[in-house]
Amino acid sequence: MTRPLAKPRISLFHAALLAPGVLIVLVLFVAPIALMALESFRPFVTGKVGSGSGWTLRNYAELMEPAYAFYFWETFRIGFIVSATALLLGAPLAFLAARTRRHRLRVAIFGLLIGLLFMSLIARLYAIQMTWGSNGPLAFFGTLIGVPARSAPYAAIQVALGLLHFVLPMVALMLVGTFQNINPRLEEAAASLGAPRWRVALTVTLPLAVPGLLSATMIALAMCISSFVVPLILGRGIVLFATNLMYVRFSDVANYPSGAAIGIIMLGLAALIVYAMMRLTRALAGAGAPS
Amino acid sequence: MTGSHAALDRLAGALFRVVLAAAVLFLVIPVVVSVFLSFDDRAFIGPFPPKSFSLRWYASFFENPAYLDGLFNSLKVATLSTLISTAAGAAAAYALAEGRFPGRDALETAFLSPKFVPTVVVGFSMLGFASAIGVFDAFTRLIMGHVIITIPFTVRATLAALVGIRRSMVEAAISLGAPPWRAFLDVTLPLARTGVVAGALMAFVLSFDEVAVSLFLSDAFTQTLPIALVAEMRANLNLTVAALSTMFAAATILIVLLLDRAVGLDRVVGQGMYRG
Repeated sequence: MTRPLAKPRISLFHAALLAPGVLIVLVLFVAPIALMALESFRPFVTGKVGSGSGWTLRNYAELMEPAYAFYFWETFRIGFIVSATALLLGAPLAFLAARTRRHRLRVAIFGLLIGLLFMSLIARLYAIQMTWGSNGPLAFFGTLIGVPARSAPYAAIQVALGLLHFVLPMVALMLVGTFQNINPRLEEAAASLGAPRWRVALTVTLPLAVPGLLSATMIALAMCISSFVVPLILGRGIVLFATNLMYVRFSDVANYPSGAAIGIIMLGLAALIVYAMMRLTRALAGAGAPS
Repeated sequence: MTGSHAALDRLAGALFRVVLAAAVLFLVIPVVVSVFLSFDDRAFIGPFPPKSFSLRWYASFFENPAYLDGLFNSLKVATLSTLISTAAGAAAAYALAEGRFPGRDALETAFLSPKFVPTVVVGFSMLGFASAIGVFDAFTRLIMGHVIITIPFTVRATLAALVGIRRSMVEAAISLGAPPWRAFLDVTLPLARTGVVAGALMAFVLSFDEVAVSLFLSDAFTQTLPIALVAEMRANLNLTVAALSTMFAAATILIVLLLDRAVGLDRVVGQGMYRG
């Protein structure tokens, strides 16, 4: 018998198993980001690779200027629109997969969604460009809504389409979990009491799904705003996200400190979204969603 | 009254089916279009659909040394970083699943946190760090970057699989006289294999397709395939990429079929592999 309230301690065996991973995270993750945080307060010396000596807040102040703040605004604007659309398009797909009694259909939906997750994003973006781009079979869509495929504003639409293709499978898969965790008996009970199906969906299923819908939206938003490849390939240089700006600051003007400042801001935004999501799901779960 | 409800029900049902069809078509059409175009016989990108078909773009992929070099580099980087992050990640996940020690939850968060950091930030910070510690070899840098972006996935996949293993089985082995490492090798490891393999698979795919991190960490002599592709797509759009995309799609279908055979897609989703 051990002492009843002995302080739990880590065994040597567990410590040895953890060591390589902890070392990797410390050296390859914590250290580089700490260094980047330091660099973001260094002054930029034109023509010099790296950064100067001394400390400054200029790199951050610069980003508050409207010209730069615009990139962040654009990033979030497109991110919000895409996340909301993904929710709308993903929910029926997820609902069907969660509720259908046909095993084949369920597996087919999972196969499509998981397959897309595994499929190269570059290949998917290329496919979007071939389909929705100016030569593509769906280019008429742009003309239809008054933004011809060859015009500059269409770049933003293409980026949004690319992001939607990127996040939709993920959102739908997360929503499958949400709908699966709603007890179908509740819907059946409402239906047996005479509620029509649209009413059941609106007053029983939807409210119970709110926590899941919210966290799926948040994850979609986080995926959108931290996306780099989608605007790089589909933005035609017209639409730049904050992530692309970071690369441009580094590759075109070799301004490492400014890139570092953007990196720190992106990091803060990502942390904020994750934190908000945790708070929200906790608050909503506390409100008592029956399982 | 009932009549209006029935009408509304039909309307809601129709709306549901329309959105459902839109979602599926939106996801599938681009892939189909690009597969068709990859067999296009024209030497330029013409309007859809192609008039005649050939394998010219597939041939052009295999004749392009930049692509083949990139493919080779990508396979090397993905294999090596998957091995490292799977070994370290699975071991850490085992300790996290079994251990009850102070700071356990914080440690788990630390292992998962690289997933929430934009990959551009990882690549950017890694480049500065590598030059600060004097690592200028692009291949080493790529491995460093790819290990850190894949480790959250190997940790989480293994952790998810281990949660399903009953502690009593391990405890039984230990109470029968097996040392902890023996119980690990003979009981836990075989049972956790599914999770380890799933994590490794995700790590490999993620590394193989990574752009942002590789863009910062590669150099003119060591390019990965995605970097070569992005350069090609931005310079001159041609259908070689479509041919490659089709091969990617075929590989993906293969992976999904294998996954279904090995684990069952139902279980992949049911297990919550993609859920937080």
